[in-house]
Amino acid sequence: MGKPTDLVQGTLDLLILKTISLEPMNGWAIAKRIAQVSNEVLQVQQGSLYPALHRLEHQGWIKAEWKDSENNRRAKYYALTAAGRKQLKSELENWRRLSGAIGLVIEC
Amino acid sequence: MRWPSKFRMFFRSLQHRRAEAELDEELRDHLEQEIASNVRGGMSPEEAQFAARRLMGSIALQKEECRDARTTRFIETSIRDLRYAVRTLRRTPLFTAAAIVTLALGIGANTTIFTAIENILLRQLPVRDPGQLVSLNWGTSSNLSYPLYLALRERNSTFSSLIADRFISVNMSLQPRENSLVWGYEATGNYFKALGIRPLLGRFFGPNDDKPGATPEVVISDQFWHSHFNADPNVLGRSVKLNGYPFTIIGVAPPSFSGTELLMTADYWVPMSTEREIKPGSNWLRSIHAWTIWVQGRLKPDVSLGQAKADLDRIAWQLNRIYPNTFDSKAGFSLPPPGLVGNALRQPITSFGMVLMGISGVVLLLACINLAGMLLARASDRRHEMGIRVAVGAGRFQLLRQLMTESLLLAIPGGLLGFAIAESACALFDAWSPSFNVPIGAKLHPDFAVFGFALAVAMVTTLIFGLTPALRVTRIDVIPSLKNEPVSHRLRKWSMRDLLVAAQIALSVFLVIASVLVVRSLQHALSLNLGFNPNQAVSLSFDLQGFGDEYSRQFDRQLAERASALPGVQSAGVINALPLSLGFANSDAISRADRPMPKPFEMPEAFVYNISPGYLRAAGTRLLLGRNIDRHDRKDTARVALINEALAHLLFKNKNPLGERVRLGPNPADKGVEIVGVVETGKYRSLSEAPHPAVFLPIAQTGTAWTTLVARTHLPPGQAIERLTKVVLDLNPQLAVTNAGSLKKQLALPLFPARVAATVLGIFGVLAMVLAATGLFALIAYAVARRTREIGIRMALGARPSQVLSSVLRRTLVLCAIGIGLGVIAALAAGRLLSALLYGVSPHDPLTYAISVLLMIAVAFLACWRPALRAIRIDPASTLREQ
Repeated sequence: MGKPTDLVQGTLDLLILKTISLEPMNGWAIAKRIAQVSNEVLQVQQGSLYPALHRLEHQGWIKAEWKDSENNRRAKYYALTAAGRKQLKSELENWRRLSGAIGLVIEC
Repeated sequence: MRWPSKFRMFFRSLQHRRAEAELDEELRDHLEQEIASNVRGGMSPEEAQFAARRLMGSIALQKEECRDARTTRFIETSIRDLRYAVRTLRRTPLFTAAAIVTLALGIGANTTIFTAIENILLRQLPVRDPGQLVSLNWGTSSNLSYPLYLALRERNSTFSSLIADRFISVNMSLQPRENSLVWGYEATGNYFKALGIRPLLGRFFGPNDDKPGATPEVVISDQFWHSHFNADPNVLGRSVKLNGYPFTIIGVAPPSFSGTELLMTADYWVPMSTEREIKPGSNWLRSIHAWTIWVQGRLKPDVSLGQAKADLDRIAWQLNRIYPNTFDSKAGFSLPPPGLVGNALRQPITSFGMVLMGISGVVLLLACINLAGMLLARASDRRHEMGIRVAVGAGRFQLLRQLMTESLLLAIPGGLLGFAIAESACALFDAWSPSFNVPIGAKLHPDFAVFGFALAVAMVTTLIFGLTPALRVTRIDVIPSLKNEPVSHRLRKWSMRDLLVAAQIALSVFLVIASVLVVRSLQHALSLNLGFNPNQAVSLSFDLQGFGDEYSRQFDRQLAERASALPGVQSAGVINALPLSLGFANSDAISRADRPMPKPFEMPEAFVYNISPGYLRAAGTRLLLGRNIDRHDRKDTARVALINEALAHLLFKNKNPLGERVRLGPNPADKGVEIVGVVETGKYRSLSEAPHPAVFLPIAQTGTAWTTLVARTHLPPGQAIERLTKVVLDLNPQLAVTNAGSLKKQLALPLFPARVAATVLGIFGVLAMVLAATGLFALIAYAVARRTREIGIRMALGARPSQVLSSVLRRTLVLCAIGIGLGVIAALAAGRLLSALLYGVSPHDPLTYAISVLLMIAVAFLACWRPALRAIRIDPASTLREQ
């Protein structure tokens, strides 16, 4: 595994929103899920993860809730809000358009 | 703090704590899950923990960034900054106290001075459209005569109304044997209408009352209504006696209005035409040369000051052709705002106010410079701390904000303390009452606008100078500052700060010299040759206006006889106005009767006093030549006079003046009065005046209204006054005795400007000295702090303490020398300005200069003491190890 790829500015928000759109998760699980799904290519640094979570929470796109985790400890679970769902949709569209455009440019 | 906000604070801090705790828990949770996951992946617990921690990075930094993402961030960090600032300031109490006191003094002084200027110079009269009102002054005179006023009122085309008034005292008697001397105005009938004042009660007199023989009516002030009539609404129609003549009260003025002079409060107003009733025999209403009234005018709406002045000057020129020599053709009209006796008070108060404003402005500047110096010195002390804070991740903005918080924490208490100082200074002014009998009406109320301005200046200064060092420290590299390397390797040149400290020293030396000079001259004043002997003598005054000349001649003769017969009284006499008391003394143009009359404005003026035979002995005025006036000089004998030496010299050079005649006044047909004696020259108007001609006429040949009884006695002043008052009242129970006291006490008025000057200069001198001392202290402390390492090396190489001391202090000593030199030069140069306030002390008095310079050196020594001691106590070993 090489050096973890730095995330493109702004894409971390998208990854977090997408990841917790399936089910509420805690911070550690979010990081792990992103790493797993991307085949360990995308390593989310904790230094970026928690500030991003707090920022998203403050913006009202996600909400946090303390729940008991599997090993019977309290953990903070993040879930999408209605506004977050809307935001995820628009960011996804943006991303698809952007990556499609980049793909067109570099594949020709 | 009120309860709701207390609750809110408490709630907020709870919220804050919960958020912090949750953040901690969340991050710890993450770490544990990571470790657990690593262990599941096959690592040993230690390895797992280490890997997790490495991956996690600085937890503190993450927490910081998470807090950043929240809204409460700004408030939280401000509170934290504030706490930190309080802690740091508390660690250096000396610096903190010095900074706050410096600021407070600067702000306090300025707020006080500006308040005084605003309340006295800039305040407008409480009348309708005060901006349209002007006072009419001709040349240096703020008075005009009544016939001239009538002519100006008739002929001008630029004023919507011209009013005239006169501030005088009368014996007011509400009931028999209940008399008081009260001050008020004689005013023209259009007075109230032109000013736009409405009565609180009843009505005012009007233009019909200008005609002679009008029914005598009086308007009283709201204050007088309260103090003497208990605010009785039935006061209208009541009769009071003014100088024994019955007047009817027709109205009460509103509380806001106490006349057209800002510094004097009036208790009554009567029509000017009643002058004949108040003072039978007075004829200034008909004399064009009797310049005794003040004239104010309301400009027409579109008329400029220039147009009005041109209009008035044109009329003056016309009048001069009809009545030659009415106006001195060299002068012209000037139209200052009313309220301060035309130009007569406004000019001196303005120039004194300007000087004070200048000085207090400089003091504020010095305070700010000092503060900047202290903040700079502190910044250099704190390089190490700043380096550490940058190293652990403090951003530039955070450092700036922190330092700004500290600056504000200095500026705000400094400002509040300054306001408290201003408030108590103004309260002192209000509580103070001068010991002369004119009612002073100025009250000072600290002005919030002025305070706001001073506080804003202080805030801006502290922010700018608090920030400058902050910018400097945030620019520094972390590494050298942690290694404690010197800020700069190059030798320091003379910096702006050094020069400013020298300027501070110069200013404080200047002010101290000035105040010591004035104080010394005050001590000197009582031993001056005043032309009378103020020791062991008392005087009291009363007013015989309204009783007539014949009565006053009788009265004065009987009074002098009875008073000198009192046990314990060696001699007694009367004079119309005591020299150096408030100006009721007349002055007149004087010329030799045996020579042709010079032109009116080329004749010398002499003060004219009316005295009884006993006056010279009672006052202690020496007779140099000829004889005293005596009881044989009567109304029906030849008119005689005493003159003073100055007048004898002026008119007769070295010739014997006895038997010569002098004319008083501009009448060429006057045969004059015969000179029978010459007395010593004294001081008449002010203690610093040059020898001035004076004439003394026998009261028996002139009569007088305002009268002062002088008695020479060994009795204690209080006892003597009591006995003399009884004599006066036995002779006439209707009189109000005022201004009673020892002759020394009567000198309060002439000494008043000098006392004010000494107090103010002294306060500013001490202030400047304190500032200079703190400035020096900061400068040297700074120099020692930045050279600690160098001094350590020098000492390690064998430098003796004296050498270290001289290397630290040399620059300071040079600065002190320059500052003191400049201050002395400035004081020498300003000597001429000061000489108006000095009596019997040369403005170049060497002793004063020596005292002031020594004082400054002592203060400088005290200021240098601690930091210099710190320099020689530097321990070379520990200093070098530390670096």
